[in-house]
Order: sequence, then C-alpha cells, then structure tokens
Amino acid sequence: MLIEIDGLRLSIGGVPILHDVRLALGEGEIYGLLGPNGAGKSTTIAAALGLLKPDGGRVRVFGKDPWMAGPEIYGGIGVVPEQNGFYDWMTAEEYLAFFAQLHRRDDGPNKMREQIAAVGLEPRPGQAIGTYSRGMRQRLSLARALVAEPKLLVLDEPTNGLDPRGRRDIHDLLIELAGRGVGILLCTHLLDDVDRLCRRVGIIAEGRTVAEGVIADLVRSERRLARFRLRLIGQPATMPTEIRHVSVVAHEGEWWIVDLDPEVTPDAAWRELLFRGWPIAEIRRESGGLDELYLALTERRAA
Amino acid sequence: MKLVGLLFALGLALVANPSSAETLSVDLRPAAANAASPQMGDRLSFRTTIRNDGTAAVHGLIAWISLVQLDKGKEQPVDLEDWSAHKAVTAASLAPGQILETDWPMRLIQAGTYRVVVSAVSRGSAGLVVSPFADFTVRQKPVVESQRVLPVALGLPLLIAVAMLWRRRRR
Amino acid sequence: MSAARLIARKEAGELLLSLRGLSWLMAVAVALSVFGLLLVSNTELSLLDNAQVVYDMVAIVTALGGLLALVVGLDAVAGERERGSLVALLLTPASRDAILSGKLGGIAVAWAVMYALALPYLWAVGSTGQNLREAVTILAVLGSPVVLGFGFFGMALGARLATARTALLTGLIGLMISASPLLLGPSLRQSAIGRAFDVINPISAAVNAYDGVIIDSQPVLGQWPHALLAAAWLVLALWLARSGFRRVAR
Repeated sequence: MLIEIDGLRLSIGGVPILHDVRLALGEGEIYGLLGPNGAGKSTTIAAALGLLKPDGGRVRVFGKDPWMAGPEIYGGIGVVPEQNGFYDWMTAEEYLAFFAQLHRRDDGPNKMREQIAAVGLEPRPGQAIGTYSRGMRQRLSLARALVAEPKLLVLDEPTNGLDPRGRRDIHDLLIELAGRGVGILLCTHLLDDVDRLCRRVGIIAEGRTVAEGVIADLVRSERRLARFRLRLIGQPATMPTEIRHVSVVAHEGEWWIVDLDPEVTPDAAWRELLFRGWPIAEIRRESGGLDELYLALTERRAA
Repeated sequence: MKLVGLLFALGLALVANPSSAETLSVDLRPAAANAASPQMGDRLSFRTTIRNDGTAAVHGLIAWISLVQLDKGKEQPVDLEDWSAHKAVTAASLAPGQILETDWPMRLIQAGTYRVVVSAVSRGSAGLVVSPFADFTVRQKPVVESQRVLPVALGLPLLIAVAMLWRRRRR
Repeated sequence: MSAARLIARKEAGELLLSLRGLSWLMAVAVALSVFGLLLVSNTELSLLDNAQVVYDMVAIVTALGGLLALVVGLDAVAGERERGSLVALLLTPASRDAILSGKLGGIAVAWAVMYALALPYLWAVGSTGQNLREAVTILAVLGSPVVLGFGFFGMALGARLATARTALLTGLIGLMISASPLLLGPSLRQSAIGRAFDVINPISAAVNAYDGVIIDSQPVLGQWPHALLAAAWLVLALWLARSGFRRVAR
C-alpha cells in the first residue's frame, strides 16, 4: 500500500477536525477523496503528507509514519496542493529545474520542456509565470508534481480552472500514470472526475469517513435506502423536517429528492405527504449513482 | 553643557580669588603643527603641562578641558561630545616638582571663534587651578559636495528603475 | 548544488529579478538619495561635520538594512505561505534545516546588496573627510549581525504569527522601538530605563560603535563589547527563526 490511514484523529489549535478517517491507496490506483467543504479532506491530505501531527490513529505512507519520516518520503511523492503559488518571476523551465534540483535530479532543459509539454502547457519563450492564466498555472502545478517521477501523486482539485479539453487531457494523463503503477489520491468536488477516473472512493463528512470502498459496491448498498424524485405543482404546505420517516435530500425547482426510512412503505409515505399538503404530481424511483450516494451520505450527516 | 558652563564659570571665579591659589600650575599651549587658519574638519591639538610647585605630593589629580564659543550673540559653552574623546586626564599623585604633560586633540566641528581652557583640581586642594586661555577661529567649509552626491543620488534609483523596466518587459 | 544553496539562489533571484524585490531595493535607494539630497540642499546639514555626516549615513543604512532584512525574512515564510508557494517547497526532499539555511542565505544576500548599494552614497557624502574607511568597516562588522538579526527575527515572526500582515506590523513595531536611539540620540541615556535599554538594544550597540569609530576615531577592535551584544542578538534571532520554522505548516 502506498497510503494507509486508519482511525485518524487530528485537532488544530485544540479544535477537533478529524474524528475517524480511513483510507487505503495501492499502486496504480486512482482513489477519490470526496466530501463537502470543511469536511476535513485537505486536513487528511496534510496529515498524510506529514505536515500535521495526528492525535491518534495510524497513518503510513510507503510504510512509514510521514510525521516522523518527513523529507525521507517526499522524494517519491508529487503534490498539487489546493492553494497553488509559484515564483512569478521565473519561467516554467526555470521553475521546474529548481524543483528537479531540489529532488536531486540533474535533468537538462530538454527534459523540462518534455515535462511542460506532457501537461499540455504551451508558454511563449521566456514567458514569466506571473503572466500565466489560471489553467496554465494548474498545468504547471501538475508538471511540478511530476518532476521527480513520483510513485505517489496527491492531487487537491487538480482540474480547477481548466476548460473541458484541459480536463480531458489531465484525465488522460492521470489514467496513463496509473497504468504505469503510480498511485493517485484525487481530492475533488467534481464528481464527474471521480466517476471517470476512480474505482474506489472515500467520502468524508464532518471529519469522519462515512463510506469507503469500490464505487459500484457503495452505490448498490446505499440503494437499500428508498430514494424518490417527486414533482410538486406548488410549494409544500408543511416543512419537510416535520414529516416522520421522510428526509429531503435535495430540492431542484419543482423536483424534490426524498429518502424514505426502511420502516415505512412508499404508499404510506405518499399518503402522509398528501395529507400534510404536498401537491405531488409525479413520483419517480431514483436511479443510483455517485451523485446520489455522495448527497445521501453527506446530507444525512449534516441533518 | 550646563555642567561644563558651570564648571567654567566656577573656574573663572576661583581664578579671580588669589587667596585660594594651589601649589599646582597649569600651562596651555597650542601644538606647533596646528594650522594657522583652521577650517571645519581640521584637527587641532593643545598641550598642557601641570606642575606640582609645592613641597608636598598632590593626590587625586584631575584636569579637564573646556571649550566656549565667543562669537557675538552665540556665547556659549560647547559640548565636547563630537569634538574630542579626550576630555579629562587623571593622576593618582603628583610628587613635588613633578609634571604631567597631556595632549588634547580635537576635531573642529563648527565654524566660529572659540576659547580653550584646562582646569585642574586635586583631592586635597581648596580651589581650582586653570590654565591660560588659548583662542582660535574655525572657518566654514561645506562638507557635502553636490557634484559627488547628485550623480549617486539620482543615478542609483535610475539604475534600479531600468532593471525594473527590463523585468517588466520580460513579463 | 546543495538544497540550501539552491534555495538561497532562488531567494536572491526573488530580490534581484522579481518586481517585488526590485521595488524594495528602489525604496531603500530612494530613501538614501533623499538623505543625500537633503545634505546638499540644506545649508545647515551641508555644514555638518564630515564624520557626523558619515555617521548619520551609516546609521540610516543600518536602519534601512534592518527594515529590508525584516521584510525579506517575513516574506520568505509568511509571504510565501500566503501566496501558496511554501507548501511545495516543504514537500521536497530538502530538510527543514536546509530550507531554513537557504532562506537565511537569502537574507544575507539582501543585506550584501543593501551594503553594496550604500557604498556609493557613503563615498559621495564622506570621501573628502576622515574615517570613511573605518565607517565602511564598522558597518560590516557591527551592522551585519544587527541587520541579519532583524531578518531572522522577521522569519521567526512570519513562522509564528497567523498572517503576514500581523507579522509585519509586529516586526515594524519591534524595529521602530529598537531604532529609537537614532531619533532620540544621547538624550535616551539620561534615564535609568534609557540606559538599561541602551545596554540590551542591538541597534544601540551598532550606533554606539559607529559613534566611537567614526566620530571619536576609536579603533574598530575596541568595539568588541558592542560586537558581543550584536552577536548575541544574532544568535537569539537565529534560534527564534529555527524553532519557529520547524513548526511551519505543522
């Protein structure tokens, strides 16, 4: 395993941030780390990289405790952090050469140009990084992460600011890297990216892993929850929270997505809703998927 | 500065009273190398000879230099802080007939007419002994010359501005 | 090339090749120029004793050097952290001490550049007088530890305080308090508190040594008590920077 996290607990300034996080990433795997804003994804990544000291639990990267190992393990890790800062006065080549040398690699300018081309970056000769667009900066960040040919890539929102073609290019590159045995921890809000790239995911909500495993298995297991899409011809007269056995997952225009508790039958639930003033015009059984899985797990946690 | 002035006035008052005369004598002469018409920044030196003219040893001798400005309307004691680091001399004892030679170098800080006097006192003495006066005039001299300052003061920021423009063009 | 040297070279580039660094150099050059121009345009100032002029210029160079080093030190940690470029550096195989050494080297380069920048100004205002060579020497001997200490202090503040703005404000207040003898002069020593402050303040140590060497023509080697205080300040600031930097992003 490249990364193993189990029962991770972590506080910052005395405030508990992570309560129980688990994650396992092997070679050649792309693992999606999902969760709402503030759920603890970036903190989990920081703990995995040895930047934050855990209060408890087990964290191992390449079999070592990253907090103790520190720079020892960084030679094998490429990172695209959430906040991307550069030395704006440098060119991309100078920037990558600087990081290559810090990784004790003596790659020449041709190798740097190859790295730049590999991420689809096309700067003008001598162009300073300070003039780059957001998408160019994102590509450069990925090029920096790849400069030492790492075994493990940790990517926090790597396709932020990229156009659809850019996103597809990066997807192709990540798939190719995984094919070469590189393990990739992908932390993102873009469920489409995860759907396309990852076989396994971990979903974090409020500092806890609420689901972890193969996407298809998780979706299948969550379908035991009855999820329906209801079309209403007007506003419901009753607040959703006042109705027993029914929880509202999302509300998009006239469509309401609701989960029914296992102990209630759908017919009983619809009768109850109609009685409470819900003007139901249409009922559809929801098909399962990562979107619903994610919404169900994170919304339930929030509720 | 007030203290120096007070001591100087006290010295003059005591000199005016011969009944308190000591067995010490103080002689003050400008150094031979002193410029005849010194200007600001030049150095002058004065030499004193303090002699024990009595029959008993003098103990705990201290002598100090005082400088006053004599220009009309600017009469004032001068703080020697910037003029000289040699402001006083001490001797544990001075035997009868023994002399203490001291040089008092100073750098001329401001233009004007000045008077130097050296005062001496010992632990057992009843009064102050002062030297004769030595007067001198310092000519003005502008020390900062614009033909050196202007090119540097304007040139260096210009040089950095050119470097900034070059970097901006690269961006 | 070692990681520390690589990072020091990068930090030097940040000062000499980035618009931000060049702006800082421009600011200190303009401050020195304004003082130089004041000296030639103001009758009172132009009649100052030559040694006094050199002393004033050396003191201003020290204060500005302290300010530049403080800003460079702050920017090396707090600035990089806020711009988001520090994490990438921390996640390289370079050890924390190597990164710290490189950044300290960057502060040393900033002071070297500032020192070189000051030499033409010192020559312009003091070449016809005495003690110019001694002034240049004492600026290197006493000014360097004092200025570098402020750079290290800036790094320590940048590492320990939450934002660059808070760190900058705290650092500036510290520098202003330390540099108060330049404004108050000998009158500071008239009270017991002032004298006590004079004994522990690194800028006082430098200024008193400048006074001794440039104004009173004392030997440079005779300033060892002042040099000792400056060295103690440098060691304290280095310790603060090191212990603070170990905690950065951790």
